[in-house]
Amino acid sequence: MKPKVIIGAIIVIAFIIFGSYSFLESNVEYTDVSGAMRTHKKVQLKGEWVKERESAFDPKSSTFTFYLKDESGTQCKVVLDGAAPNNFELATSVVAKGRYVPEEGYFRATEVLTKCPSKYEAQADELKKNT
Amino acid sequence: MLGGLLVKFAFVACLAALFAFLENHRSGNEKALRAARIFFLSSVGTIVLFSAYQLYNILTHQFQYTYIWSYSSRSLSTPLLISTFYAGQEGSFMLWTLFTALIGVFLMRDTARKGYEPQVMTIYSTIQAALLLMLIFKNPFLYVWETWEGQVQAGFVPVDGRGLNPLLQNYWMVIHPQVLFSGFAAMGVPYSYAVAALMKRDYANWIRPATPWIVYGATVLGCGIMMGGFWAYETLGWGGYWGWDPVENSSLVPWLFSVGTIHTILTQRKSGAFVRTNLVLAMLCFITVLYSTFLTRSGILGETSVHSFVDPGMMVYWLLIGVLALFIGIGLAFLILRRNEMPKIPPTHTFLSREFALFLGSAALVFAALFITVGTSSPIITQILQGKTTAVDISYYVTTIFPIGIVIAILAGVGQLLWWTRTEKRGLTRVFAVPVAIAVAGTIALAFAARITDVRVALFVFGSIFALAANLVVGWRIVKGNPKYAGGSIAHVGLAIMFIGFVGSAKYDEKQTLSLTQDMPVDALGYRLTYTGYRPIDEEKYAFEVQVEREGKRYTVAPIMYYSKYNEGLMRNPDIVNLITKDLYVAPLSLEQEDATAKSSAQRFRLKKGETTKIGDLNVTFVDFDFPVIEKAAMLEGKDVQIGATLLVSNYGKRPKEIAPRRKISRGEVSEVPAIFEKRHEFTIASMQPDRENKGRSEVEIAYTDLVVAAQTPNAPNPDVLVVEASLKPYINLVWSGVIVILVGFLVTMVRRSQEARLKMTSEAFDSLKVDSLTPLTKRESHESFAGESRHLATPTPNS
Repeated sequence: MKPKVIIGAIIVIAFIIFGSYSFLESNVEYTDVSGAMRTHKKVQLKGEWVKERESAFDPKSSTFTFYLKDESGTQCKVVLDGAAPNNFELATSVVAKGRYVPEEGYFRATEVLTKCPSKYEAQADELKKNT
Repeated sequence: MLGGLLVKFAFVACLAALFAFLENHRSGNEKALRAARIFFLSSVGTIVLFSAYQLYNILTHQFQYTYIWSYSSRSLSTPLLISTFYAGQEGSFMLWTLFTALIGVFLMRDTARKGYEPQVMTIYSTIQAALLLMLIFKNPFLYVWETWEGQVQAGFVPVDGRGLNPLLQNYWMVIHPQVLFSGFAAMGVPYSYAVAALMKRDYANWIRPATPWIVYGATVLGCGIMMGGFWAYETLGWGGYWGWDPVENSSLVPWLFSVGTIHTILTQRKSGAFVRTNLVLAMLCFITVLYSTFLTRSGILGETSVHSFVDPGMMVYWLLIGVLALFIGIGLAFLILRRNEMPKIPPTHTFLSREFALFLGSAALVFAALFITVGTSSPIITQILQGKTTAVDISYYVTTIFPIGIVIAILAGVGQLLWWTRTEKRGLTRVFAVPVAIAVAGTIALAFAARITDVRVALFVFGSIFALAANLVVGWRIVKGNPKYAGGSIAHVGLAIMFIGFVGSAKYDEKQTLSLTQDMPVDALGYRLTYTGYRPIDEEKYAFEVQVEREGKRYTVAPIMYYSKYNEGLMRNPDIVNLITKDLYVAPLSLEQEDATAKSSAQRFRLKKGETTKIGDLNVTFVDFDFPVIEKAAMLEGKDVQIGATLLVSNYGKRPKEIAPRRKISRGEVSEVPAIFEKRHEFTIASMQPDRENKGRSEVEIAYTDLVVAAQTPNAPNPDVLVVEASLKPYINLVWSGVIVILVGFLVTMVRRSQEARLKMTSEAFDSLKVDSLTPLTKRESHESFAGESRHLATPTPNS
C-alpha cells in the first residue's frame, strides 16, 4: 500500500504542476490598445469596430484589415489572417486575439471573436413588424 | 395559461412522488410506494402532455407565445418546425425534462425489479423536480403580452414568428439535440444510484443494476458528441470536428467521467475495492452535466467564447447555482454521513494486474476531464484570482490532453493483456511480444512515411498501434469464444482507430487560403481548383461552384455563402470532397471583385539586406533600414516614429541614386511616404521584417509602380474572385469510423451487463440484496464465474 500511495501522490502532484503551468502559459490576457503595444505577448484586444474607416479583405495576402477602437477611444489597425468573421457587421464589440507588430504599426490577429446583440433582447415593437 | 399550469402540476406531482418514495424508504410502507408510483407517473404523463401541447402550438403557429414567436416561423419545413421545440433555452430545458421523465418510467420498472426503487426514485424525482422548477421560472408558455407587459395588448397574435437561426436550419438540428439531451437525462441515473446506495447502506451491489445505465448514458452522450463534431465539421465550417469550445467541452466532460466510472466499476465487480471512488465518480457524471449547464446557460462565460451566450438574467443564474449546489450538497452530505460505515476493502491486486491498469486508465480520464473543466472555467478562475477575466488559448487543451492521450492509448492495450489480480511475469513477454513488435514496426514505418519528427507524436502513434494490435488479438479470441464479451475490446479497437485518425487529420492537415479568380485554375495542395461561378439555391443562399481536378479525376464542390437577414451577417457553409484516405475541405471566405485600379497594378518584391533585383530596366538594391536611435527611443515611448528603407536605384547602369520610402507611425496609425525615382518610378514599403539579432537577414517588401503605365491602364471589367480556405485532412475517416466502433463496443457491453444484471437478480432473487455489503470475497468470486469471465489471455489457458 505504502509505495502505491507515494507513487500516486507523485503522479497527482506532477499532473497538477503540469496543468497549472500550461494554464498560466496559455492564459491570454484582455487588454486595450496601449496595453497591446507595450507587450510582445499574445493578448486579446477588446474594442469596437470603427465603421467609418477602411475595412477590406486583401485576396493577395488573405488578410482582413479593419480599425478597432478601445474603451479609451484609442484606435489601432488590425490585420486578421483570414476573412471577416461571421456576424462582423452586426457585432457590438469585437475581441481580436494576437500580438502587436511595432514595425508594421498594426495588431496582427489570428482570430477575431464577435459579440452580437442578443436575439433575446427583442423589443415589443418587433412583434408588430409584419402586421 | 394551460401550459404553465401543467408545468406547475407536474412539479407538484413530482414533489409528492419524491416524498412518498422517501416515506417508503424510511418506513417500508407499501401504500406510500403505490402512491409514489402514481404521483411519479402522473408527473411524467403531465410532462408528456405539456410537451405535446407545445408541439401542437408550434405546428399550428400560435405566435402569441413568446417562445414560439422567437424561434419559429411559417416558412419552416415540418422537421425544422419540430426542431424549434428545443431551439431556445426554455425549449431545450423542456426537452431535457421530457427525456428525464421518459427514462424515469423505465428506471422505475427496472429498479422495482432490482429492489432499489424507493431510494433511486427519491433521488431521480428530485432531479426531475429541479428541471421542472427551471421550467416554472423559464416558462416556455409565456404569452407575448406577459413578456412585454404594458407594451403589448392582451390577446395580440403576431402574424409570423422571427424564425429559426439559419445556422441551425439543418438536418443535424433535427436529430443532434435530442440525442445529446437524452444523454444528459441518462446521466441522472448513475447519480441516483450512487446516492441510493448510500441511503440503503449497500455499497457493493448497486453497481450491478447501475452498470447498464451508465453504459447506456455513455453510449447516448458519446453518440451526441460525435454528431455535434460531425455537424461542426460538415456544415458549420468551423474547420474541424473539435474546437474545445465551452459548449463542446460541456458534453465531453460528463462523458469522460462516465467512461472512467465504467472502468473502476469493473474493478469493484472483481475485487470489491474502489467503493468510495465509484460512488464519487458516478455522482460526478451528473454533477458535471449540471456544472456544464451552468457554464453555458448562465451567461457567465460572456465574451470569452465563439458562441455568443445569451445572458438569461440573474434569476436563472442563481437558480442554476442553486440546483448545482443542491445536488452537490445531497451527494456530499451522504458521503460524510456514511464515511465511517463504508467498507474499506484494500486492493488485492499488484502493479502488474488488470485492476491497476483499469485504475490508471480511469485516473487518466478523470485528469483529462479535470483539465478540460479548469480550461472551460478559466474565465471564472481568472476573475477570482486576478480580478480580470481571461480565457485560456486552445493550445492549453492540446498541451494538457495530448500526454494523457498517450497514457490512455498505452493503457488501453496493457489493460487487455493483463490478468486480473496478478500477472505472472513469465508469461508476460509472450503476451506482449506480438503487439509491441507490431507497434514498434508500425511506428517506425509511419515515422518514415509521414516524416514524424515530434517524439510526442511518435509516442502517440506507438500507443495507438499497440492498443489496436493488443485489442485485435484479444478481441479475436473473445469473439471466437463468446462475442457478447467483446464489448471492451471492440471499444478499445475503436479508440485506437480514432486516435490514429486524430494524428492524421489534426497533425498532418495542410491548409491554404486561395483566391480563385473566375475560370482561372489555381494549383494548390496537389489539386487544381477552378471557380466556375455561383447559382442561387433558395431564397437567400448561393452555392459557389468550384471544380476540383487531380490526375484526371474531377469533382465539384459547392460551398455556400449567403447574407442572412436573421443574423444580419454573412453565413458560410463548407463543402467537402470525401476520398477514402482524406478529405479536401473547402471553406468559403468571401467573394471579392478584383481591384484593377492603379494601386494593385503595383509589382511587389522582397529584398534581403544587400540583395539586388531587376525591375524592368532598373537595378534596385536594399541597403538597410533607416532607423536612427532617436526614432527607436521614440517608438518605445509610443511617440511618432519614422522608419525608412534605403534603396539604391540605377537605370541602364547610370550612376545609382539613393532613395528611401518611409513609413510613419503616429498614435498607432500608419501612413506610407513613397519615394519617386526619376519622376516615374514609385517605391512604397509594403512590409518590413527587421531582424535584430542578425541584421543581414532583415527583409523588406517593396511595392513598385510605373506611374506612366499605371496612368494608361484602363479600368478593365473586374472578374469575381472567390476566396476560400482549402485544407487537406488525411485519414479523417478513421476518426468517424473509430467513434462508431467505440459506440458499437458500448452497445455490446450494455447488452451483456443488462442481461447479467437481470440474470443475477432473478436467479438469486433478492438474496444478494440482503447480504451485508461486506460479503466475503469468495462469494463474490463465485458470482463472477457464474457470469462466465473468459476473456483473459495473460495466463495460458489449458486449451490455448
